[in-house]
Amino acid sequence: MFEFLFKYPAGVFSKGTFVLLGGWPRWILLMAIVAAAGVLGWIIWRKRGRLAPSLRGARLALLWGLQSALVGLLLLLLWEPAISVTALRPQQNIIAIVVDDSRSMALNDVGQTREQMAASLLNDGLIRNLSSKFQVRLYRLGAGVDRIQDTNQLKADQASTQIGRGLRQLADEAATLPIGGVVLLTDGADNSGGIDLDTLAELRRRRLPVNAIGIGREQLANDVELDGLDVPAKALAGSRLQAQVALRQNGFEGKRARLLLTADGSILASRDIVLNNSPEQIETVEFSAGKSGVKNVRARLEPLPGETNTQNNEMSQALSVDDAKRRILYVEGEPRWEYKFLRRAVEDDPALQVVSMLRTTQNKIYRQGIANPNELADGFPSKPEDLFNYQGIILGSVESAYFTTTQQQMIKDFVDRRGGGLLFLGGRWALADGGYNVPPFKELLPVTLPNKKNTFQRVFVAAELTDAGKKSLICRIEDDPEKSTQHWDVLPYLANYQDPGTPKPGAVVLARVDAGGNRLPLLVTENYGRGRTAVFATGGSWRWRMQQPVGDTSQETFWRQLLRYVVSATPTRVVATTPNARLEDDGHIQLRAEVRDTNYLPASDADVQASVIDPDGVAETVALRPEPLAQGIYSADWSAQKAGSYIAEVTAKRGTQKLGADVLTFRRENGVAENFHREQNRELLQKLAEETGGRYYKPTEVGRVPQEISYSEAGITAHETKDLWDMPVVFLAILILKGTEWLLRRKWGVV
Amino acid sequence: MLLRGLLLATLPTLVLLSALWAAGPIPDWRQFPNDASAVGKRTSRKEQAPGKFREYPAWEYNDFPIPADSNVPGEWVFARFMYRAVPVWSGYRLINWTIDYPRSDRHLSAAVRRLTRIQARSVEEPVAAEDGDDIYNWPWLYGVEVGHWDLTDLEAAKLRDFLERGGFFMCDDFHGTVEWETFEAGMKKVFPNRPIVDLPNNDPIFHTVYDLDDRYQVPGEQFVYTRRTYEKDGYQARWRGIYDDKGRVMVAICHNMDLGDSWEHADNPEYPEQYSALGFRIGIDYLVYAMTH
Repeated sequence: MFEFLFKYPAGVFSKGTFVLLGGWPRWILLMAIVAAAGVLGWIIWRKRGRLAPSLRGARLALLWGLQSALVGLLLLLLWEPAISVTALRPQQNIIAIVVDDSRSMALNDVGQTREQMAASLLNDGLIRNLSSKFQVRLYRLGAGVDRIQDTNQLKADQASTQIGRGLRQLADEAATLPIGGVVLLTDGADNSGGIDLDTLAELRRRRLPVNAIGIGREQLANDVELDGLDVPAKALAGSRLQAQVALRQNGFEGKRARLLLTADGSILASRDIVLNNSPEQIETVEFSAGKSGVKNVRARLEPLPGETNTQNNEMSQALSVDDAKRRILYVEGEPRWEYKFLRRAVEDDPALQVVSMLRTTQNKIYRQGIANPNELADGFPSKPEDLFNYQGIILGSVESAYFTTTQQQMIKDFVDRRGGGLLFLGGRWALADGGYNVPPFKELLPVTLPNKKNTFQRVFVAAELTDAGKKSLICRIEDDPEKSTQHWDVLPYLANYQDPGTPKPGAVVLARVDAGGNRLPLLVTENYGRGRTAVFATGGSWRWRMQQPVGDTSQETFWRQLLRYVVSATPTRVVATTPNARLEDDGHIQLRAEVRDTNYLPASDADVQASVIDPDGVAETVALRPEPLAQGIYSADWSAQKAGSYIAEVTAKRGTQKLGADVLTFRRENGVAENFHREQNRELLQKLAEETGGRYYKPTEVGRVPQEISYSEAGITAHETKDLWDMPVVFLAILILKGTEWLLRRKWGVV
Repeated sequence: MLLRGLLLATLPTLVLLSALWAAGPIPDWRQFPNDASAVGKRTSRKEQAPGKFREYPAWEYNDFPIPADSNVPGEWVFARFMYRAVPVWSGYRLINWTIDYPRSDRHLSAAVRRLTRIQARSVEEPVAAEDGDDIYNWPWLYGVEVGHWDLTDLEAAKLRDFLERGGFFMCDDFHGTVEWETFEAGMKKVFPNRPIVDLPNNDPIFHTVYDLDDRYQVPGEQFVYTRRTYEKDGYQARWRGIYDDKGRVMVAICHNMDLGDSWEHADNPEYPEQYSALGFRIGIDYLVYAMTH
């Protein structure tokens, strides 16, 4: 219909530029239209007294409008309107037809398999029609694209679909071949997480339009699918962790299902969940990291009766658990019970080592947890490299002035640059009472301290969780979240509290105290620079130990979790990462390392190597190269050939000096990728087409492709100018304008 | 004949009772509930609340002046254990727990304020096992003349629970073999299976603030009159203790010495300064140890 009315396909209008071919300037057209409308208006105005009484006011104005529009349209036609569009030169361009040949195309959900439908569309006219104007090349798509001669070579047997990589290959080919456009027949079930920005940019740079023909149903009946598993890549031994499991269902709304989390054959956690109708349902499962080692954490949803595809019910991810002790420097300005019970709470924690310096008298420091007699012998470290050996710092009831200006700056650098954790405790020499309302502490604190003294009060108060605190693992003092919240409700009163002021934007308040009806923040956390800071505005949580039965571990658990939060994300000098630690049927992986020197400044002159150990125990050394625009960042592309778990130890050296090392784990799974996201991903295909200047087509619209694909700026092109004056819609408009005027006049009895 | 006999027997008894009464000791008429079944259970916040400070009539001091800042709370408070003493006769028990109280307590508190960075309350806190869960509010507990204690089941269970939760108990001012045996019997009631051992010189408890490798017997006030540093057959001072499962001292036992008197008489010009000096140092080392281990 569009083409009937407008003479040309819609693509011409969307890609073309409107022009007026008439030689007279456009302003004359504008003036002529205004003048014509003015003359018409003046005539009507003059004759208004002699007109029928029924033609007054708005009716007269409407007639004037219709007449003016008609004159305007006719004047416009005199200026010869046209559209200028770039089009592919016939027989000089190549059209790349890319057919998804992955296993998801073997799904029979459209009366035939998706692959059969694609082949039918091609063989029943699409190839022939395209061939009449262009050269046609046929490709099949899997982890990349391979050229094929005909559709008989399509088998629907590729282990994964990576649309981005395939298009990137075509874009590279377009550098030497006149590829004028891409026709992509696919279900859009991409396994690489979408089309990367670089590929999109390259397609746009080459002005290569991707016209996507979506095949397959957009929703599969009676299926539950795990859509994602998010587990921390690294954890401290014995830590409580959260796994985020994303899932979606169709046909099972309201049904109950059991979600299991396992690692190497043993169950870590299980939960009964109710399936809902949200596009993506997120379930959080808590579990203990257990002992050190590399673990394959697997999330599995037990199959439901009548489920069509049970192979998309599980996912796994590698988790590296280490038991290297994180060292926390605890500076305390006065002997107090909180100090004793904090130390006791974590002394058996295999992952934490509290090294403390306590001012017992005006001139004496009592040290505990030190590694050797020299540690802290001269008091708080005066050199950054000494301070940066710790992963966390606790500042207890000690005045800010106790630290020199250099030490204060070092504490800031410890958090900001080194990425350490800093915990402020309440106390009579802490926070506002300790003079912390000055830079750099002022900036480090997650709260804005009150501008007053005597904020520390030895008054018993109850601690209560906020909503964020109820969800936080720091405050989880029982395995069961509900029981944990109930336990908080009966925890003994804190022996004291301190007004920490107001939380800064971005800070999270996990707990509060009820100080005589005034609710004050108790536990506040915030990320700062590369690290994180927290305030626990009391020195009285020791009563949680003394006033609870011997077997109660809530005080111990709370402190362990709080201190683990403080140090667990503290990076080493070398931090190895990968954008994708779970490889599904495709072994390509990018190894990245952030390398810093002893002062935690980016080290751009390091020799960085990864020793990758494959599932059979065979090691391979991979050199990482510095990235040009990022200081201290190194990367390498590598391919994991076998299925299983890999361990990569990344080491960095500067000359003979070893800067550090880090361990990265990742896992390759074969034969799983195509079990997921099997429904047609129309959204992805539409987005891809929009971004590249192409169009999305349903299989029933495929007949329009040969003509619309002509208007492309890629390949060998020519500018065409197409007249618009003879479009049927113009004549239709003239008829409508005059016909409407006549009908109105009839209605008002003036004809 | 019978009447005369009765009078002869009664009169000396009345004389003895009057003498005791006039000498000052106040009989402890407290009730000593003995049901330990609830010890160690979870309690309500109300039951956990500390009581208000009060000063009890004592063996040696009554109406001892209360400092003006007595209502200022502190991080550390000298908590004195109000234990049940052995019966003198026919159920009559003395108040041995009040020996040196409150002068000794306040002198140590003042010394702690002056010599350390601990915020100490100026006045002590007498703590009784039968007062709900009050005992758990005072993690440092002092017992005097424990060679005379006769712990009830409740007191023993409460003291054990207090120590297992992380409390620290220091006891002092008992001398010789007989009083040791009485103390040991009570301690066995608290911890039937934990041994009492001599604390070695290199134990951290002697090195928290002061290095106290060279210690000597600290006598009580009787030294002023007798010039003897010992009492009864307690010729040699013993620093003993009970360790918990992690090797931390949780009961510090000062046998054959009288640190309480050394604190109490720190302002007594007749009492030698060297004993008060050591007494304070031991007290401060023990206290800082209790607050750090």
